[in-house]
Amino acid sequence: MKKYRSKKGAEKLSLVIIHTVLAIISVIWLLPFLMLIILSFRGEQVGMSANYLFPKQWSFDNYVKLFTQTKFLTWYGNTLLVSVIVTVVQTIIVLVTSYALSRLRFKMRKPLMNVMLILGMFPGFLSMTAVYFVLKEINLTQNIFGLILVYSASSAMQYYICKGFFDTIPKSLDEAARIDGASRHTIFFKILLPLAKPIIIYTILTAFIAPWGEYMFSSFIMLGDPDKFTVAVGMKSWLDNSTLASEYFTIFCAAAVVVSIPITALFIWLQRYYVEGVTGGSVKG
Amino acid sequence: MADLSLKHIYKVYPNGTKAVNDFNMEIADKEFIVFVGPSGCGKSTTLRMIAGLEDISAGELKIGGVVVNDMEPKDRDIAMVFQNYALYPHMTVYDNLAFSLRLKKLSREEIHKLVVQAAETLGITEYLSKKPKEMSGGQRQRVALGRAIVREPKVMLLDEPLSNLDAKLRTQMRAEISKLHSRLNTTFIYVTHDQVEAMTMGTRIVVMKDGFVKQIDTPKNLYNYPANKFVAGFIGTPQMNFFEGTLKKNGEEVRIDFAYCNAGITVPCSKLDKVRPDYLNGETPVYIGLRAEDVSVDREAFGNNKAVVKLRISHVEELGSETLLYGDLNMDGDGYSESLTKIVIKDDGSGGYRAGDVIEAALNTERIHLFDKQTEDCVLPRIPEYNYLDCTVSGGLLNFLGESIALPPAIECADGEYELLIPVDALKAGKDIGVKVETCENICGKTLLSAELNGKMLYALVPETVTEKTLKLDVDFKKITLLKDGVKVIEPLPEVSRLDGLFVKNKVKKLTEADGKVKTVKAIEFSLETEGKRFTVPDTLAQKLFAALGVRKAFNSPLKIECGAGSLIFGENGINARVERMLDYGAEKFVKCRVGEKFVYLLADKDYDGEVRIVPDLDKIGIIEAERNIRII
Repeated sequence: MKKYRSKKGAEKLSLVIIHTVLAIISVIWLLPFLMLIILSFRGEQVGMSANYLFPKQWSFDNYVKLFTQTKFLTWYGNTLLVSVIVTVVQTIIVLVTSYALSRLRFKMRKPLMNVMLILGMFPGFLSMTAVYFVLKEINLTQNIFGLILVYSASSAMQYYICKGFFDTIPKSLDEAARIDGASRHTIFFKILLPLAKPIIIYTILTAFIAPWGEYMFSSFIMLGDPDKFTVAVGMKSWLDNSTLASEYFTIFCAAAVVVSIPITALFIWLQRYYVEGVTGGSVKG
Repeated sequence: MADLSLKHIYKVYPNGTKAVNDFNMEIADKEFIVFVGPSGCGKSTTLRMIAGLEDISAGELKIGGVVVNDMEPKDRDIAMVFQNYALYPHMTVYDNLAFSLRLKKLSREEIHKLVVQAAETLGITEYLSKKPKEMSGGQRQRVALGRAIVREPKVMLLDEPLSNLDAKLRTQMRAEISKLHSRLNTTFIYVTHDQVEAMTMGTRIVVMKDGFVKQIDTPKNLYNYPANKFVAGFIGTPQMNFFEGTLKKNGEEVRIDFAYCNAGITVPCSKLDKVRPDYLNGETPVYIGLRAEDVSVDREAFGNNKAVVKLRISHVEELGSETLLYGDLNMDGDGYSESLTKIVIKDDGSGGYRAGDVIEAALNTERIHLFDKQTEDCVLPRIPEYNYLDCTVSGGLLNFLGESIALPPAIECADGEYELLIPVDALKAGKDIGVKVETCENICGKTLLSAELNGKMLYALVPETVTEKTLKLDVDFKKITLLKDGVKVIEPLPEVSRLDGLFVKNKVKKLTEADGKVKTVKAIEFSLETEGKRFTVPDTLAQKLFAALGVRKAFNSPLKIECGAGSLIFGENGINARVERMLDYGAEKFVKCRVGEKFVYLLADKDYDGEVRIVPDLDKIGIIEAERNIRII
């Protein structure tokens, strides 16, 4: 009889290999975060050059200093304000754009989608100088609303994933609602949005995360006014030269931990909607 | 509760594909209409146009007497059930049913009353608080029906509602929908690709293929009198037997020879006298159709109407209640392939036939169907197009079947023998020919009179059922054709002539009187331009053109203007025309005029000569868009 390889054995072997690879990757991923958290509790001031990880003296000092001796709280407030407004504006624009591109048929629909897709491929900072001068002309530099404008201006270009989701909701639902007497906006609010929960959550998350951690645009729009800095710009200013860096390095780590809290919280709160699919049962399964 | 009227409905997509071609139908109140056909035949598109989910490219759709072409679905007062149910998944059954009522802003109590009532009708009361995904397919379909009936719509539209259900549930729901129809007393329009559903549910069935309506009739008539080979093959299981063959007239008998085998039968001429004579020459190939139950292994079946053929049985299918015998008229044929000699016989199975047996089977000649090989249209129709007669002309007298009638001056032909074609609608009650009435039957809303004249049957369409035993008929000479050796000597007066035209707008200055002052006001008038003259059109006609073609295209599309003799009049400011000749048909007189390269015909009260001017009567003309060949009016 021809010799054969045990199926069970082969499966086991491949599982072992997969898990080993995953374990290594996750260590590489998690190590910097772990380091950040540990460093934020370091009591002694040895700057960035220290060649050991675990603090000789555990302390909450860095956190206390962060909120009492620095402008971090102001920056945090600025960032939160910008992010929340951008999230609201961007979510609305993305949903509306996606609905239009998924459900309405108009001339130039395809070209418009392609143009948006191609424009989205260019890095945003290419337009940085131009954007700066435009903002200067309308007196919106060193202004939080200037930043909000810049962040939400290109919202519609994020339509792609959301439109893809709308496309999976059967069109016959719209048609049934139209026959039932619903107008376009009733269909959007009463039929489509309740079904689009997962994608709304996704849009909110991405819309929030982007301005929350953005550095490049805010660094030059807010240039020269430390009271209007966002967290990313402010924290970077601590590391601008080596004397400052040695003093603020551990505080920087503490700030990084505090910055990651809202995103983590948001994700944990929203993830159950994120996973849940809701179209089941509408049409033949 | 409404009647529907579909006139010249077209659906043309931007790339030029015609999904629906010239759909014409009048649907009475409370009818159950079924659209049936293979996929891609345009049945769903038609339904969606009625619903308002698709735009109508051209034509006129009326629901309850109101033109709804440009109306939103919600304003048409219709309800639709979708193939995939289309229930709102995030709402409970109750909310699904109440959705439309809430949008109508009914009071809470009223909504509750209506929802509960609809739920009781369909037996879904216990599911009212469930969500669609917790329910089975049959229950979901019931909810979808409930959502439709809760609004008490004028018309119920159902788009393949049962095709997602399994076979047993489908039969059950079929009966329930029929019951619902009789209870609701509403017009139903039902789309399906399943001919069994169509036959069992519809009061009338529309058979469609490739965007064309193939036949509209009751289930029974579709089965017994299919208008073409497609309908004959589509309706009925097992499929109708089709053979190819030729017909040869031989004295008082017609010999039918089957192609690809030695079989042949003879039938009396009287059975085929509705067939056009040129099919009886023994050369023109036709399809011969015969249903499985009209073939019998009992040689004595069908009494006097039988003809016997020899066949070889290839295989037998036992179905319990009946047995299907498959065979081949060609002794070398295998009986399995879809050949034109294959034959299926419905039998009770008592004969104990086995594969390989060569038997003789009787064909029911009373139920033979004949179809043209090219067009696949029925050549043995219930209402024939013409009466086919031999005649002689001598000294201005037309002699046929022992009668002789004076020919009107319009018909000028040399003395001699001719073939005479009299259309069935050209024989009217009058005084010339006395005939003996045989039968008078109602076929698709028309009354066909069959009458005997000296041993030959004459057919005529009459306005109402005739009860007398004898009748006098007149021939309408403007419709007759005379043939000599297959060449037309006398042609009927054309019903319409077509002129090229364009739709144009012109700015005009109008004088109006307001407050005692005369003012000039600029206004836009629409007109039809043909042969260099413009005729101002009424608003209703302009609206129809805009609806069918769109505002911009209406001015750029070349049109064909159809004018019958009754829709042209003499008038000043008309098209220049030259009188060719006067046509005097006795009772009526016509003028044949030349307009450019074309001829038009006008009803005349006196003789005309030389140059005349003609004006079209815009209320009576037809308009066709020339490029895509779409009838607009």
